[in-house]
Amino acid sequence: MDIKKNKYYKLWLKDAWPYITGAVLLSLFQIVTLATTGNPWGVSGVLATWGAWMYEAVGGSVDKWYYFASEGAQKSLEGGLINHGGSIRNIGIIIGALIATLLSSGFKIKKLKSWKQVVAAVLGGLLMGYGARIGFGCNIGALFSGIASLSLSGWVYAVFLFLGAIFGSKLLVKYFM
Amino acid sequence: MKEVELDCNGEACPIPLVKAENKLKEMEIGDVLIVQIDHSCAMKNVPEWARKEGHNVEIEEIDDGEWEIIIEKVK
Amino acid sequence: MDEPKTTGIQRSSTRTKRVRKKKKSQLPYGIAILLLAVIFGILLGTKNSGMPIFWITGLAFGYILQRSRFCFTASMRDPFLTGSTSVTRAVLTAFAITTIGFAAIKYGAFVKGLPIPGQSYVVPISFATAAGAFMFGVGMVIAGGCASGTLMRVGEGFTMQILSLFFFIIGSLWGAHDFGWWKLNVILKGKAVFLPDVFGWIGAVLIQLLIIALLWIAADKWEHREKLVKN
Repeated sequence: MDIKKNKYYKLWLKDAWPYITGAVLLSLFQIVTLATTGNPWGVSGVLATWGAWMYEAVGGSVDKWYYFASEGAQKSLEGGLINHGGSIRNIGIIIGALIATLLSSGFKIKKLKSWKQVVAAVLGGLLMGYGARIGFGCNIGALFSGIASLSLSGWVYAVFLFLGAIFGSKLLVKYFM
Repeated sequence: MKEVELDCNGEACPIPLVKAENKLKEMEIGDVLIVQIDHSCAMKNVPEWARKEGHNVEIEEIDDGEWEIIIEKVK
Repeated sequence: MDEPKTTGIQRSSTRTKRVRKKKKSQLPYGIAILLLAVIFGILLGTKNSGMPIFWITGLAFGYILQRSRFCFTASMRDPFLTGSTSVTRAVLTAFAITTIGFAAIKYGAFVKGLPIPGQSYVVPISFATAAGAFMFGVGMVIAGGCASGTLMRVGEGFTMQILSLFFFIIGSLWGAHDFGWWKLNVILKGKAVFLPDVFGWIGAVLIQLLIIALLWIAADKWEHREKLVKN
């Protein structure tokens, strides 16, 4: 039996799924997340915590920062990675994607190709990180979870995210292609 | 009937699609464009766009994480 | 949908066809990592019993995102850049489904007199929301991936996204550093609006679903607009 021709291998492990399948399943797990952890899915908040840990590792301190002043934030920082649900989930996303890629024999290391890509990654990353903090989240937290939570802030975020994406597309075509 | 290869390996999305669109504009009806990609998004959005435009499209997986999208310009 | 056509596109015979390298399937590696992930989950549970659910949902999100090539960046960018709204419509569908699921959970708590769970993203609307979202929108398109997309692509082996993630972390720290200023000078001027407070629970859900439906129709028409023009 050639596994590559097996119907279920192709369906679940090999072939790309339609976008709508992704939408339904992501929604399912979003709801599971809210029901089981008491909070919706979020990605970028965790990254600020990672930043704080990295900063502390090189001798810095965020204890006087307003952002980390709350009791909850202090507890998270002190508890470390292994007790931080959001961190575990973010790492899970990376590993889940890795597993998906390997099971479909699609894993390939794609090295950086040009200086344009380096600048794009640095600039893009910084913009996303900063923007997510002042906007109270990223495409998952502020947008997906915000709208699902029936918060008007989610919709406002959506409008400006869309405008930003248009502006970003113009920059992309002009400078990064 | 010309065959043109477009190497988009290592490009971030949506660059393979934009490059493919631009290249196909320069080509004649009946020509074949072969887009080489290693981006999983592109193996979906390039064929989707090409089919929407009415062209004949075939996807070939040529290696782990590498595909060739073969587009025959129809109109 | 991807069944090979029997007629096939004619390829010139002079062109040497790329021979598919006879590589081993990566399936065994995938299974190995999956088993390690399961073991890690179990061990994690012994250290902190609240953690495995985060690990499981994370793995699920990562698997689903990669399998369906789901990209929020594409949903916002493609309508403008390529005229395609297929991802946009999928995202709208996800909004609709989660609206119903979230509302059900929240209303269930509310009706029992319990505190409403998951209100962490019901936040004040101010200039900071607009500025932050705009910055994020620009950043995600340039970087080739949003927050979830970046994590997904790290798992797929894109070194560009590893770099992007690193600077996402730096940017987040920078934003956290400045957050106090933003809170004092901008965010406090804003107000959070929880739609059920304004329209009631059923009203809020219906209005939101209606808006999503209208956006869906608009996206659908946008996708097919050229056909309309040509005809």
